[in-house]
Order: sequence, then structure tokens, then C-alpha cells
Amino acid sequence: MSRPILEARGVTKQFGGFTALDGVELAIGPGERVGLIGPNGSGKSTFVNCLTGALTPEKGAIHFLNEDVTALPAWQRARRGLVRSFQIPRPFKKLSVIENVQVPLRFALSEPPPTGIDRRAMDILDSIGLDAKANWAPKDLSQVELRKLELGRALAANPRLLIADEAMAGLSDSEVDEIVALLERLNGEGIAVILIEHIMRAVMRFSQRIVVLVAGRKIADGDPAEVMRHEDVERAYLGQ
Amino acid sequence: MNFSWDLLLNAVTSGIMLGGFYAAVAVGITIAFGMLDIVNIAHPAFMVLGAFLAFLSINTLGIDPFLSALGFAAIAFVFGRYFYRAYYHFFERRGDDSLQGLAFFFGIMFIVEISLVLIFGVDYRLIDLPYLATTYEIGIVQIPLRLAAPCLAGVAMLVAIQFYLSRTFTGRAILAVAQDLEAVRFVGADPIRTKEIAFGIAMASAIVAGVLLIIIQSVEPSIGREFIGRAFAICVLGGMTSLPGTLLAAMILGIAETMTSTFFGPSWSPAVAFGLLLLTLAFKPSGLLGR
Repeated sequence: MSRPILEARGVTKQFGGFTALDGVELAIGPGERVGLIGPNGSGKSTFVNCLTGALTPEKGAIHFLNEDVTALPAWQRARRGLVRSFQIPRPFKKLSVIENVQVPLRFALSEPPPTGIDRRAMDILDSIGLDAKANWAPKDLSQVELRKLELGRALAANPRLLIADEAMAGLSDSEVDEIVALLERLNGEGIAVILIEHIMRAVMRFSQRIVVLVAGRKIADGDPAEVMRHEDVERAYLGQ
Repeated sequence: MNFSWDLLLNAVTSGIMLGGFYAAVAVGITIAFGMLDIVNIAHPAFMVLGAFLAFLSINTLGIDPFLSALGFAAIAFVFGRYFYRAYYHFFERRGDDSLQGLAFFFGIMFIVEISLVLIFGVDYRLIDLPYLATTYEIGIVQIPLRLAAPCLAGVAMLVAIQFYLSRTFTGRAILAVAQDLEAVRFVGADPIRTKEIAFGIAMASAIVAGVLLIIIQSVEPSIGREFIGRAFAICVLGGMTSLPGTLLAAMILGIAETMTSTFFGPSWSPAVAFGLLLLTLAFKPSGLLGR
């Protein structure tokens, strides 16, 4: 793997006496597609929150693009290209679809896009298939369209690494395929993606590598087929 | 209780005019407290500062208070932005914005009040504008221009701010911050810049409300305290983040106060007004137009 763009080193997070993460190590290379899986309560969300700046780990460090970002607030990490989407879509309800995408374009980028904010926003909507609904209110979008908008808004922040947190939960099979195809297209543009997902069909199709967290520890990290055959993974994650 | 239609209609009319002024006071609280989560209890103190600035400008420079309000509002907007920056740096950024932040605004309130006492003394001051001395009579209803003009100015200010928030991109970004600060952060937008603009608007509105106050009634440095409870109550009653809700709540509070004052005596006014607040929240906890 070429030099990683993200390195989590010994990340430990405690809530009172409960250790949610215990020395988790992770390195993500440029343009990699990584599936992060684990049973409920395994620490996936806590780990993502530590990576993106919603939580500060007690121990360990997070390096992004060769910079220690452990102490940086969430918005500064996002500006560097470490961007997440939310499990439950959180569009800005009082803004139209295109304005939702314009918020990061106007407020997050250090320089305006070369093609201009409006053009870039339309390009993003075009790439996620929402160009025809640019002026709609988010409340009028379907569930899968809301997920796409969530990803489009993250895309507008110009990510180098996108963390898609359960972007497919509650969707039908065909809708899951749409989102996987969209993530693959984004990845094709050079964006590394960490996919956190319970839908194993999507994880197996999308991921080049799978990382498994159980009870706050990383128990496996590698080729998807090998990881799924891993004895500890079968026991802890699949309950077999 | 002496009831007559004459009294009732005049009480409602006075209530609407009072409500228009209350809207001007509360709009800044709705922005700062409702939208930005900043418990700026010094807001009414800044309003009183605005009142004294208007007093000073008409008496020393002869500038009409409605005109000077615009100039002071522009200065207050810039001051508000820097003021929020300082608040953010010392409190909000460190997560000390709950109790310490409240103590900070208490301190600011006292500093503003004491400064005004030192400069102007404790006497009551009033601006008497001859062109507002007229009282129109429509049937049995009396409309004194001295109350109607500040009411219209207050409502116009609220409508203008609502227009800015709903029709401009920056305005809607402020609403986005009010709705989901975390989501704004996670797409890399600096919410501080947006909050700074919003707080500047809130500060400017406090100064304008002060100019309206000294036209309506005589003012002394600590009179702002009388409005703290009312302004926050209007914000909550209206639904926290809704400016139309703020206007509606201000009108309801104004009418409730004048009706109570007319028919039961002024000492009952606050009890009825806040009783109304509690009753509304019991049946609609999100406020009148809250979501």
C-alpha cells in the first residue's frame, strides 16, 4: 500500500468505566475501499466519531494526510478532506436540494470551485442523479434520494476520504445497488471510502478490504473473503 | 371589573402596539437563544444602551432617532460580530458556554448598566418627538402615533430579518446552523462565521429596539431587566427558532398584558402573561409555531 492518507494509532476511548475502543489501529491508503463491520455495540460509531472529530480519544492519535489532526475540531478535519455522511439523513430542511450542496461549497472550501459554486453544485447533483430536483425541498425526496443528497453534500466538501455511515440502512435491494454504484463512482474519482454497513452483500461487493471491530478491538483486517472465513469473525460477528 | 366595548377595543389596540415593540425586543433573543443557543441575557441591557445612544444623538447632534437607529444598528452589527468572536474564543470553543457563558452575559449586563449610570445618571430620560404627538381616533379606538410608529418599525424590522433569513443564502445558512450545527460542522463549514453574522443581526436588533423603547416610554439604565423575562418568554412561546412565531407570541403577550391591565389592574399583567406561556407549553411544548 502506498503511504496511507489516514492513520489511526492506538485509538482508545472510554465512557466512564466502559472502554468503547481499545487501542484501535487503522491505515487507509489513497483511493482505497474499506468496509468497516462489527456487531452492534462493537465501537464502529465511536471510532468514526473519533476519526471525524465528534469525540476526542483518551489515548492514541489520528493522522490525516501526514498531519496530526487529533486535536482539530470536526469542521477543520472536514476541510482537509476527512468527510462523513450520516446514518440517518440530516438535510438542512429549510434549504433546497441544491442549497444543501452549496453550504459546503460556499463555507467549507478554502478556494471557490474553478467552475463557480452554482455550476459545481449542479455538477454534483448531476453525478448523484438529483439534478432534476435541484430546487425541491428535502422533505419531498424519497429515502434513497435523501441518502444520495447526504452523499452529495459530503462530496461538495471535496473529500479525500469519505466515511459512509450506514448509507444503505432501510433501503430495498435495488436502492442498495444504486448507492453502491454511486460510492464506486466516487471512488473512481480518487476518493477513498470507508463503508460502515450491516448489509453484508453491499460490503462484500464494494470493499477491497474489510476491517472487523468487536467489543472495541480490531480482530481482523484484510481481504474480504479471508476475513469472513476468520474463526474469530465467524464466532463474534456472525454468531457461529 | 368594569367591562365596556370601548375599553376592550382600546385594550386590544394598545396590546397590538405593545406587541409590535415586544417583537422588536424578542427577535434578537430568538436569533441568539433560539437559533444559536447563546443565552444572551444582556440583550435587554444592550437595548437600553440603544435607547441612550438615541437620546444622546438627538440632544447633541439633533439627529432623528429613527434615522440614528439605522446608523447605530450598522455599528452594532459589526460590534456584535466581534463580541460573538470573543464569546466563542473564551467560552463556546472550550465547551464552557452553559454556566460560565451565562455568568459572562450577567457580567456584561451589569457592565453596560453601570456604564450607563456613570455617564447618564439614574434619572429617567425620554425622547419627545413633536411629529409623533398626534393621536388618531378611529371610532372609539384611539391610536397614539407615539406607540403606533415604534410598533410598525418593530414589525418592519422583524419582517426584514425574516426576509433575509428565508431569501438569502447566508440567511438560510444561519437557519441550517440553527437546525443542525453538527451536520454543518461535518461538511467542513465554519459555523462560527455564520453564527457571527447572526449574532451581529441580533445585536443590531437590540439597539433598534432600544431606540423604539425611549420613544415609547422614559428609560433609566436598569430598565432592561423588566424585559428579560418577557423577551425569553416570547421566544419560547413562539417556538424558539421561528420569527413568525415570535411575532405572534409578542402580539399575544402584548394583548394579554393590556387586557389584564385594563380589566384587572396592572399588577396582574405578568402573572396572566406567564400563565399563558405555561398553558401553551403544556398543550404544545414546541411553542406556537415550533416544530
